[in-house]
Amino acid sequence: MAAIRRTAARTEPAPADGTDGPGRLLVGALRHSAGRTSALFACSVGAAAVAIALPAVLGHALDLLLDNAAGARRAVALCAILIVAEVVFDAAEALLSGITTARTAAWLRRLGIDHVLSLAPHRAAERGTPGDLVTRLTGNAAEASTAPATVATGLAALFVPLGGLIALAVIDLPLFAVFLAGVPLLAWLLRAFVRDSSDSVARYQRVQADIAGRLVEALGGSRTIAAAGSSARELDRILAPLPELGNQGRRMWHVYGRAMAGAGILVPLLTTAVLAVGGIRLTHGDLTVGELLAASRYALLAAGLGAGVGQLNALVRSRAAARRTAELLAVPPMRSGTDPLPAHGPGRLELRGVTVVRDGTAVLRDVHLIVPGGSTVAVVGHSGAGKSTLAAVAGRLTDVDAGTVWLDGVPATEVDPTRWRREVGYAFERPALFGDTIAEAIGFGPYASSPGEVEVAAEAAGADGFIRLLPKGYAAPLSGAPLSGGELQRLGLARAFAHAGRLLILDDATSSLDSVTELRVGRALVRDVRAGTRLLIAHRASSAARADRVVWLEAGRVRALGTHRELWDVPDYRAVFADLGDPGAAEGSAAGAGPGAAGEDR
Amino acid sequence: MSESRVPVLARRFLARRRRVLVRLAGWSLLESAQTFLGGYGVAMALDHGFLAGRAGIGLAWLAVAAVAIVFGGWATGGIFRGLADLVEPLRDGLVRRVATRALTEAIDAPARAADSAVVSRLTNQSEIARDSFAGLVLVARSFVFTALGALFGLAALAPELLVVVVPPLVLGLALFLATLLPMAARQRAFLDADEALSGQLGMVATGLRDVLAGGAGESVAARTHALIDAEARAARSLARWAGARAIALGVAGQLPVLLLLVSAPWLLDRGLTAGALLGALTYLTQALLPALHTLMQALGAAGTRLLVVLDRLTSGPTSARRRAGALGPADAAGATGGPPRVRLRRVTFAYGPNAAPVVRDLDLTVEPGEHLVVVGPSGIGKSTLAALVAGVLVPDRGEVLVDGRPVRPVGGEPSRQRVLIPQQAYVFGASVRENLLYLCPDGASAAALAAATDAVGLGPLIDRLGGLDAPVDPASLSQGERQLIALGRAHLSPAPLVLLDEATCHLDPAAERRAERAFADRPGTLIVVAHRISSARRADRVLVLDGVHAVCGTHRELLDRSSLYRDLVGDWHSERI
Repeated sequence: MAAIRRTAARTEPAPADGTDGPGRLLVGALRHSAGRTSALFACSVGAAAVAIALPAVLGHALDLLLDNAAGARRAVALCAILIVAEVVFDAAEALLSGITTARTAAWLRRLGIDHVLSLAPHRAAERGTPGDLVTRLTGNAAEASTAPATVATGLAALFVPLGGLIALAVIDLPLFAVFLAGVPLLAWLLRAFVRDSSDSVARYQRVQADIAGRLVEALGGSRTIAAAGSSARELDRILAPLPELGNQGRRMWHVYGRAMAGAGILVPLLTTAVLAVGGIRLTHGDLTVGELLAASRYALLAAGLGAGVGQLNALVRSRAAARRTAELLAVPPMRSGTDPLPAHGPGRLELRGVTVVRDGTAVLRDVHLIVPGGSTVAVVGHSGAGKSTLAAVAGRLTDVDAGTVWLDGVPATEVDPTRWRREVGYAFERPALFGDTIAEAIGFGPYASSPGEVEVAAEAAGADGFIRLLPKGYAAPLSGAPLSGGELQRLGLARAFAHAGRLLILDDATSSLDSVTELRVGRALVRDVRAGTRLLIAHRASSAARADRVVWLEAGRVRALGTHRELWDVPDYRAVFADLGDPGAAEGSAAGAGPGAAGEDR
Repeated sequence: MSESRVPVLARRFLARRRRVLVRLAGWSLLESAQTFLGGYGVAMALDHGFLAGRAGIGLAWLAVAAVAIVFGGWATGGIFRGLADLVEPLRDGLVRRVATRALTEAIDAPARAADSAVVSRLTNQSEIARDSFAGLVLVARSFVFTALGALFGLAALAPELLVVVVPPLVLGLALFLATLLPMAARQRAFLDADEALSGQLGMVATGLRDVLAGGAGESVAARTHALIDAEARAARSLARWAGARAIALGVAGQLPVLLLLVSAPWLLDRGLTAGALLGALTYLTQALLPALHTLMQALGAAGTRLLVVLDRLTSGPTSARRRAGALGPADAAGATGGPPRVRLRRVTFAYGPNAAPVVRDLDLTVEPGEHLVVVGPSGIGKSTLAALVAGVLVPDRGEVLVDGRPVRPVGGEPSRQRVLIPQQAYVFGASVRENLLYLCPDGASAAALAAATDAVGLGPLIDRLGGLDAPVDPASLSQGERQLIALGRAHLSPAPLVLLDEATCHLDPAAERRAERAFADRPGTLIVVAHRISSARRADRVLVLDGVHAVCGTHRELLDRSSLYRDLVGDWHSERI
C-alpha cells in the first residue's frame, strides 16, 4: 500500500502523451535490479571473452599436440579451464537473466496495479477496456521486463561476432577478405526474407481475422442460431475461409523454408570457402592446422552478427511494450486527503455547484443538493440524465470538474480515503464480486465481516434463501455458482449492508428484483441495516414513492426536488417511469460493468 | 483434474500422417549426408590434399562438401513442405475444434455473454500451437539426423573417436532429459501462476469500481501482490532449471571437445591423422553443438508451451449436451396449415440443478391465431418462457405442446413450424437476401420477399444498403437496423408461430408499432415479449409475470387483477398512445 501513496503523492506531472514514459520506466527498472544486472553483465562479458579466446587457444593446443611439442599439456589444461569457464558463465547467464527478468516483471506489475487501484474507475476505463488493462500489466509488462537482461547480455552478444571478425583478421588477412566478401550476400538474403515473410504473414492474419470475425458474429447470434437449429450451417459458414488459411499458411512455410535454405547454405559455404583458401595457404606453409581450425570457428562466430542485431530488435520491442505500461502509469490518480470525518456524524451530504465533464460534455451541470443526515433520497431521471454520475460523485468514485462534495461538513477531497470508505458504501446494478466463496464475496470490504454479520446482511438483502439452496451454502465457490442477475444484485446488496456506514448509495441496485422482493429488501434496509443516509438511483415509481424526497435529474441538472406525490402531477415526471425493463442499459456505470453488460434478460 | 487427451489425440494425428513423416525423414537423410561430408570432406581434404602438398585434391574434397551443402539446402525446401503438411492440418483441426466448441457452448448457454477469450483461442493460442509444433518437429528432426551424420562420420574417420565422444554426449543428453520433466513441471507452474495473476488482474480491472467503492484497495492490492510474487517465484525457479540445462548442454556439447583434446596423444599414437582430428572437431563444434543448442532451447520452452496450449484447446466438451442439436426431421413433419395452439402444462424450469426455478408451475394456453404479449420486470423469466415455447430450452417438469405435440429442438434446417427472434438480432456478413432467407427452408418468391420487407418497414434500409444483393457489414448497422432485418426474416418465414423476444427494443416507438402491426396482420399465432408496456395495448391478451404469480387476461381484466400491471400501465398512461 505504501507504493500507492507514493504514486499518488508523485508531484511531478507525468507527460500526458507518455512519450518520455517508457525510457524513464526502463531506467527505473534497471535501477531496481542494478546489482543483478551488473552481475549478469559481468557473466555475459566473461562468456564472450572466453568464446573469443577459445578457438585460438584450441588451435594452438592442436598444433602443439600434432607436433607432440612440450607445452601441449599446458595448452590442453588452458583449454579445459576455458571450456569449463564458458559452461559456468553460460549457466550463470541463463540463471541471472531469468531472475532479473522475473524481478523486473514483478516490480513493474506492483507499480502498475498499485497505480490502477489509485485511479478513478472511469479514468481507467478511458485508457482501455479491462482486457486491455490486463494486457498492459501482463503481456506488455513481461515483454518490457526483459529489457535489463537484454541490455546486459546484448552488448556482449555484439562483442562475440565482432571479436570473431577481428580475430579472423589477426590470424590471416586473406581469410578475413574471403569472409568479408561473403557478408553482403548474407545481409541481402536476410533482407529479402524479411520483406517476403511479412507480406505472407499479413495475408495469413487477414484470413485468420476473417474467421474470428465470423465466429464472434455467430456467437452474438447464438439465441437465433439455437432457435433456428442452424449450428451446422453456421459452422460451415465460419470455417469457409479455412482452406484459404491453409494455402496462406503453406505459402508462409514455403517462403520461410526458402530463406532457411538460403541461410542454411550460406554460412556453411562461407566457412568452406574460408577453409579452401586456408587450405591453400596451409600448403604453402603460411598457416598451421590449428590456425585453420581457429579461423573456421571465428568465421562461424562472426556470422552470428545477425543474432546480435536481433537482440537489439528485442530491446526495441521491450521499449514499445514499456510504453504501453507507462501510459497506464501516466493516468493521474484520484485526489485524496488525510482528514478524519467527525465521529458519529449523521451523514449529511451536500453538493455545491458540482459539474462533471466526460468527453467534452457536461454530464452534471452546477448541481446543488442537500441530503439531510438519516434521510432517504431517490434520484430519478431518463437514461443519460446523469444519475449514475451523481451517485459516483456522492461517494467519491470520481473527481468533480467543478464544485465540492461535503460529508458532515468536511470536503470529500480532504478526507482520508480509508476512513471515507468505512463510512460510505455502495451497491450497484451489476456488482462485480470478489472472493472465493459466497461468504467472502459478501464480507469483501474495508474490513472483514464476521460470519454472523454476513448472514444478517444476506438475510436483509433477501439473499439468504437462495444461498442456502446452494450445495455448500455460504461456503459455495463463487465461480461455480450460476447466478441470475437478481441473485447477483442481492449479493451486492448484502455486501453493502454488511459494511453499511453513515452513507449508503444504491445505484440501481434493485432493478432486477421482483417487486415483492424489492419491497422486502426495502423494509429490511430500514429495520436490519445500520441507520444512515441513503441515496438511491431509482427506475421504479414504487422506489421513488418510498423515499423521503426525490431529486429529478434532467440532462445533468436538477429539474425539481420534492416528494414523489408532489411530483407525480407533472406529466414529464411520470414519463420518466414509462420505460419498462432494460434499466440503465444506456447509462453504463462509471467503471463499465464488464462483459456481462449486454442487458441479458431471462 | 481431468486426464489430458493430448497424448491420445497426438498419436491419432501422427498415425494418420505416416506418409508425411516418411517423406520428412527422407529429406532429412540428405541433411545427415551433408553433416557427414562436412567433417569427412575436411579430413580428406587435409590428409590427402593440403597436408600432402596437393592443393587440387584438397579443393576437390571441399568442393564435394560444398555440393553436399547445396543439396542440403535443396532438402530444406522439401523438409518445409513436409512440415507444412504436418503443421497446417494441426492448425485446421484446432481452429475447427475451437469454433465448434465455442458455438456449442454459446448455443447451450446463450445467457452467458460471448467471451473474448474465444478470439484469443482461435488466433493467438492456435498460432502458438502451430509455431511451437513446427519448431519442435524442425529441431528434434534436425538434431536426430545431424547426430546420425556426425556419428557415422566419426566412425568412418576412426572408430576410436566414438569411444571418446559418445560417453559424454550420452551423459549430457541424459542430464538434459533429466532436467526436462522438472523443467516442464516448473514451466507449467509458471503458466498457472501467470494465469492466476491474469485472472486476478482481470477481476480487478472489471471490478475496479467495486474495489474502490468497497474500500477494499488494500486487501485487493495485497492479494494481487501475493500473486505477482508467486509468479516471480515460479519464474525464478524456472531460471534455476535453465541454468541446470545450460550445464547439461555444456556436458553434451563441450565435454567431448575437451576429451578429444585430452585423448589426442593416445589417438595420434594409434595412427589418427591430423585431418581426422580436425574433421572430428568440425563434427563436434559445427554440427553437434549448434544442433544440441537449438534442441535444448526448443524442447525446454516450446515443448511445454505446446503441451499446455494443446491441453487447453482440446479439453472441455467438444460436443456438449446438445439441447438444440441436429435432431431428426420430426419437426418438419409437424408443419400444418393453420396457426397452432400453444399449451404449457405445469411447466417448471431452472437454469441449474440448485438454482431457483425461473418459471414455476406455469399453465398457459395461447389460442390459434391469438396475439399474446408477455410483460414483467427484467430478469423475471420472459425470455425463458419464449425459449421454452421455441424448444430451445427443455422444461425440467411439465410440458410444452404446440398443436398438441411436445415441442422438440429444431433440426438441421429452419423450422417450418415456429420462429423465435431474440433481442440480440443476428445479422451476418453476407447479402441482405441471404440474411432474409435464413429461416426459409424452401426459399421465397420475389413477391413474398417484397411483401415482407415492406410490411416491417425494411425498404429504406435495403435501398440504403444498395439492394437485396448488396453485402451487409453487420458492424456498420445500428442495433435497430439489425432488428429490422431480423424482423423481416421472421415475417418471411413460413412458420405459423412467431415468438418475438424484445425483438423491437432498439426501434423507435413508431417503427416498433409498424413492425408489431405487421406481425399482428400476418396470419398465425404471435407471442411478443414486450420491452415497452405500450406493446400490451396491441395484444389480444396479456400475460403478466412478477416472479411469484403469472396473471393472464385482457388489458381491462388485468387492470383489475394485477397490481403490478396497474403500476406499469399507470405510468404508461401518460404516453396516451
